Amino acid sequence: MRGPAIVFDEVSLQLGGTKVLDDVSFRVEAGALHCLVGPNGGGKTSLVRALLGQMPHSGTVRVEGEVTTPRGYVPQLPDFDRNVPMTVNDLMALLGQRRPAFLGSNRAAKAANAEALARTGVAGLGAKPFGSLSGGQRQRVLLAQAISPAPWLLILDEPTAGIDEPGVRLVEALVAELHGRGVTILWINHDLEQVRRIAQSVTVINRRVLFHGAPDQVAYSLEGAQ
Amino acid sequence: MSALYDFIRNHLQALAASGLLPQPFEYEFVINALLCAVLIGPLLGVLGSMVMIKRMAFFSQSVGNAAMTGVAIGVLIGESYTSPYFSMFGFCLLFALTLKYTQHRTTLANDTLIGVFLSISLAVGASLLLFVSAKINTHVMESVLFGSILAVDHTDMNVLLGVTALCALLGLPLYNGMLLASLNPSLAHARGVRVRSVEYLFVVLVTLVTVACLKIIGAVLVEALLLIPAAAARNISRSLPGLVARAILIATFSCVVGILAPMQFHIPVPTGGAIVIVAALVFVATTVMRATASRFRGASV
Repeated sequence: MRGPAIVFDEVSLQLGGTKVLDDVSFRVEAGALHCLVGPNGGGKTSLVRALLGQMPHSGTVRVEGEVTTPRGYVPQLPDFDRNVPMTVNDLMALLGQRRPAFLGSNRAAKAANAEALARTGVAGLGAKPFGSLSGGQRQRVLLAQAISPAPWLLILDEPTAGIDEPGVRLVEALVAELHGRGVTILWINHDLEQVRRIAQSVTVINRRVLFHGAPDQVAYSLEGAQ
Repeated sequence: MSALYDFIRNHLQALAASGLLPQPFEYEFVINALLCAVLIGPLLGVLGSMVMIKRMAFFSQSVGNAAMTGVAIGVLIGESYTSPYFSMFGFCLLFALTLKYTQHRTTLANDTLIGVFLSISLAVGASLLLFVSAKINTHVMESVLFGSILAVDHTDMNVLLGVTALCALLGLPLYNGMLLASLNPSLAHARGVRVRSVEYLFVVLVTLVTVACLKIIGAVLVEALLLIPAAAARNISRSLPGLVARAILIATFSCVVGILAPMQFHIPVPTGGAIVIVAALVFVATTVMRATASRFRGASV
């Protein structure tokens, strides 16, 4: 079984009168590990939010052949309010169960969450307040929630930002394992070296699509695009 | 429901007559108010903790104040001036939903927009009160503003019970989605939460609870009881279950003590004021606990 394909067809998007995306069209193949690259402000996160249904846009975003499991999504770190009294376990419960999170989790959900946290290398942090974690630890927790329950479509918005080198290797290995199982992965990434190392296909955008193809053909540098 | 209320009241009054319960339990209005309190406490505890997390304190305050305009409209169109629920629910829901709708379509900061809506609502309410002042005495408005246990009847209890049931039915299954939508809308979208819909639902729930609690706590102070127990609980909580459980306990404790203490010690204060003062004392205590006890310093962040 493989994850769904994603089709962006003439997607345009404006924010406060500024055109953020202009006629963006490309396809992410089913089961691909696809990286989205581009300069800051180039519209990568906006495109992902359009995919999630959060941003009004023109054009179409289609997810072809999606199965019923929820989409895994790792947001950019600054998006989270750190001042909420919420442990890592609470956050996992909030994201992964129908039962109100303030009533706690059942045994099966607790076990699944603990396993996901262990897979991202933060097994002992379940009882810690989420807001008290370091940036790298929080990023790993956000990755853990994205893989529990196992998704068929995983969307990563700079998941290795703020993570140390062993953490980066762990994330890469985890993503490679999911990719090996057929999960479609769309990864916003700034590290071109990492992109060439792990990605199957790449799209470079800066409001428009500048490049779409194999990672070894990316004749591109962030400075050049800016 | 009246039979159930009578059954509970008769038993409590019998216990009070035999000296097992304090003397205020001999009065019907005290028992009515206490029955309301055991519904209001959990309701405000759960909802209040979410209001605090979603940073909607000013919003709930504005809904409470809009209820005064609702009362004025109710009296004007001929509703019972002691229970103008149709106008209060109608106007407050209209106020809250219009405010939310406008929030989604403007770049103004939330507090600015709420301030504008609150001012408009108060201006309309004050103007209408001038017309209806001849029809009602000042005690009616006093009970709307600051709450009065003397005014609580079976209709009020039924309304509160209905709102509690509705909140449990709609709010509990969508609790995670409502909280997630404010913590991180993108994550909520990814998990299939209809962010816009649950935001509107939350606004409706806050409005219903605010109006349903008016008779006990009053329009001016209902927001305080929504917020203070949650804020007090947050001082000493590290987790979401801890926060909500403590907020429920503190809200219920404040309601019960706020109703009974003035009766027991013959202190002539409005119920709403007494309840909020008790909650405020608990808040002060938890603030001191957080500042002095090392185990609470790490509570929340």
